[in-house]
Amino acid sequence: MSGILVVAEHRNKSLADIVHQMLSKGRQLADQAQVELLAVVIGRDIDASAAELARWADRVIAVKNDRLEEPLAGPYQKALSPLIRERKPKIVLMGHSSFAMDMAPSLSVELEAPLATDCVDISLQNGDVLVTRSIYNGKVNAIHSFAQSETVIITGRVGEFPVEDCHRQGQVEEIEFASEEGFNYKKFEGYLEEEAGGVDITQAEVLVSVGRGIKEKKNIQMAEELAEVLSGVVSCSRPVVDYGWLPSERQVGLSGKTVKPKLYLGLGISGAFQHVVGMKGAKMTVAINKDAKAPIFSVANYGIVGDILQVVPELISKISELKGKTG
Amino acid sequence: MAVIDYKYKDVIHRCFRCGYCKFPNNWIDVNNCPAYARFRMETYSCGGRLWLVRAWVNGEIDWSEHFAQIVYSCTACKNCEQQCPLRFNVDIVNMIVAAKSEMVERGEIPPSAKEFLENVQRQGNPYGNSREKRGEWMEGTGIEAYQGQEFLYYVGCVGSYDTRGQKTARVLGKVLQKAGVSFGVLGNDENCDGNEVRSLGEETLFEMLAEENVAQFQSLGVQKIVTLSPHSYNAMKNDYPGFNGGFDVAHYTQLLQSLISDGRLDVSGGVNATVTYHDPCFLGRWNEEYEAPRNVLKSIPGIQLIEMERNRDGALCCGGGGGNFYIDLLGGSEDSPARRRVREAHETGADVLAVACPNCLTMLEDAVKAEELEDKLTVKDVAEIVGEACGIK
Amino acid sequence: MDIVACIKRVPDTSEVDVIKIDASQKDIEKDRLVFKINDWDEYVLEEAVQLREKLGGTLTAVTVGHNDWDDVLRRALAMGADTGIRIDQDVSAEDTHVVAKILKTVIQQIPHDLVLFGAQSEDFGSGQLGAMVAEMLDIPHATLVVGLEAEEKRVRVNRELEAGTLESYTIELPALLTIHTGINQPRYISLGGIKRAMKKELQVMSLSDLQLSPDALNPMVRLEKLELPPKGEGAELITGAPGEAAEQLTKILKDTGIF
Repeated sequence: MSGILVVAEHRNKSLADIVHQMLSKGRQLADQAQVELLAVVIGRDIDASAAELARWADRVIAVKNDRLEEPLAGPYQKALSPLIRERKPKIVLMGHSSFAMDMAPSLSVELEAPLATDCVDISLQNGDVLVTRSIYNGKVNAIHSFAQSETVIITGRVGEFPVEDCHRQGQVEEIEFASEEGFNYKKFEGYLEEEAGGVDITQAEVLVSVGRGIKEKKNIQMAEELAEVLSGVVSCSRPVVDYGWLPSERQVGLSGKTVKPKLYLGLGISGAFQHVVGMKGAKMTVAINKDAKAPIFSVANYGIVGDILQVVPELISKISELKGKTG
Repeated sequence: MAVIDYKYKDVIHRCFRCGYCKFPNNWIDVNNCPAYARFRMETYSCGGRLWLVRAWVNGEIDWSEHFAQIVYSCTACKNCEQQCPLRFNVDIVNMIVAAKSEMVERGEIPPSAKEFLENVQRQGNPYGNSREKRGEWMEGTGIEAYQGQEFLYYVGCVGSYDTRGQKTARVLGKVLQKAGVSFGVLGNDENCDGNEVRSLGEETLFEMLAEENVAQFQSLGVQKIVTLSPHSYNAMKNDYPGFNGGFDVAHYTQLLQSLISDGRLDVSGGVNATVTYHDPCFLGRWNEEYEAPRNVLKSIPGIQLIEMERNRDGALCCGGGGGNFYIDLLGGSEDSPARRRVREAHETGADVLAVACPNCLTMLEDAVKAEELEDKLTVKDVAEIVGEACGIK
Repeated sequence: MDIVACIKRVPDTSEVDVIKIDASQKDIEKDRLVFKINDWDEYVLEEAVQLREKLGGTLTAVTVGHNDWDDVLRRALAMGADTGIRIDQDVSAEDTHVVAKILKTVIQQIPHDLVLFGAQSEDFGSGQLGAMVAEMLDIPHATLVVGLEAEEKRVRVNRELEAGTLESYTIELPALLTIHTGINQPRYISLGGIKRAMKKELQVMSLSDLQLSPDALNPMVRLEKLELPPKGEGAELITGAPGEAAEQLTKILKDTGIF
């Protein structure tokens, strides 16, 4: 089997978080198959990132070009496809991010290479590559293999592949980006940051949700702080709106909104039926409640039976601390 | 753009804004229209809504989300129909529903109403919970599937899925068992009765539900139906005959009344409580049944029945009708009808607020919590009180 | 503007506690499942209808499936689509590349300034189909579109990235976009509207009508089998004093990529 190539998503002069996860998995597969792990980074100021990739990869290919500063699907595809045709890696690996969703499928068609996206596991068995995908709302796993092909493309789900630190010293190779194409048919106009105010909780990836157990309006402040360190938004159950502590746009539940965030953190929420109906689609639910019998604990993935007023400040400081370390 | 096909376009202008629609039958204040009590703006009273709808129908105003919210805040409680002095009063609630129908056809309804209707279409209940879980409330009760018994016990969506409603459904089932009534339920095969669907303006969906339910009941040989909810009672008694459904329909309080007076149900165990009874709109004003629930309560030794100032046809709606137990357009304020009603109940000095409808039950129980009266006032369904008197847990 | 909206029908599995895998181990038992239009496709149709209301032109809805799939086309017609086309072929077990080839062949034959897909589907969620079709049609694409402004010859789109940031593009037509949830508020489709749409005609085509032989559609990714994931059991309770519990929870959140 020939090598494994990790495509490193690069933005704002640094590697996207998911890259380290894919590098770790790539390293593990490369060691298992006894082949080379390559990594490719594309952009303008990529020296530091190339060096970082070299800690995992045997060889790093750095494609430097001013016009490639932003990770945009069109130009990246133009840079990657000749590289892949030339190096013929068996597996092209990248994180399943917004960038990958824009680029991987069209790359797959251009190269006529099979593509499996958002995989939760990748394995090698008797020289075959197998992947596992989570389907039907996470209730079924599908195991896939690939038709005979020189190269397969796999994107991996964030959070599924633990980061294993590595201290190699791979070789960094700089190559030119040849294309003169202007990409005017799909012209990048810039980035937009989200507007403040007028909160739509249905679009949030993390919700810190407060219920009656929050006891007083002023304690919502604590929930806001927790939401902030998690890049999330505060939502609530109906009683909190009834009390006038939060506007009804924040309400989750039967008479509020239905949400499907990555994380639903319920603080002092009992998990009454009318509320659960609005959040049971959450990917992960954590509940903190004083009542061990609260129904929320049967729908949550993790629970802490305790006093929110004591646990939450600790949570905020521990998370901030850990975030500060990894920056 | 004018709404050319609006059913009542020739009569809607006849409201001359007398304002009677907001008064209860004893004229004590203007807060008996639940939406008006909540928002205190004329637009939210029946008369105000009719004028607004008229302006929309004539193309003077455009549809907006606010307009939809105003129209959908009508709980169809019929206080206005009762108080309106004009001859067209029999149609005024229908006029609001017809306006909702026009909006439904355009797809322009409040998002929560959309969810409600889509969930009913898909899973047969407004919560969107799986049909396969509809019968879960029965577990451990020994209640049997309907296979030709004397009564079909029709539970309804709130009784089947709402955890508080499920308790009531179970207790009532056990009470009927204790009285030796021959009955069965539909379990997972039960489908929404359609009453709220109709009041939300989705007439075609209501027709489909009514037709399907009538066909199902007929194929099973159903003749007598006893319902948990007054909403189901209303649809099956008054609307299903129009779909060839000529069943003998009773609300459970009516059945319990006769079981007790016939000596088939022994409530001599008694319950010591001061109780005030809240008339559900769909049993009370819609179907003029005020006495059966009271007779049931009065036959239980130890119960002292006190009336609220607004009672019988003057009762203040809990705010749960017109789909509002789900879409909740009247919540979020101490002026919400449910909270007003709870305060009124508390003022009587009663320690139990008795209801006979699972929608009223959830609305008023939430209101008791919001009013922080949990230690002073307990909301119980009449079935639960009867259960206590029979020694059922 | 001539718009083509590609939509699909999926089983509603969000409400089901346990899904049963059938005897072949390659499909799930579907007889007690309720079917509906793919969530993302509701936003596609709403966006398409709004564009048509603003700019005029035609709206064609396309799907690939057996005749139960007419449901989703009826919905599109009830919302105002002019035509519905169904390719009569069960592709629920096929890989995306195969479905993409079929759709590319259909779309090529009809006027298309703007082709819309949902960003992904609720059942398999691979998020590949739209971008693959775009590449096959050799037109520019953008995925995960949460904002769209259309003019006659071009569109301005915002794509969703992580952490609340958006990427903005101007794309020349013809182009393909995959639409993400939240871009609009899909309207309610009344049962009456769907019944009236039953009277409109649907075009049904077979693979041979498209001159595609089943052999030509070779899957690139094969399904080996389906399995149930290992079972979880209610909440895993994290014990200890507030500080300790908070620390453990923090680690869990970090490991699962929440932050």
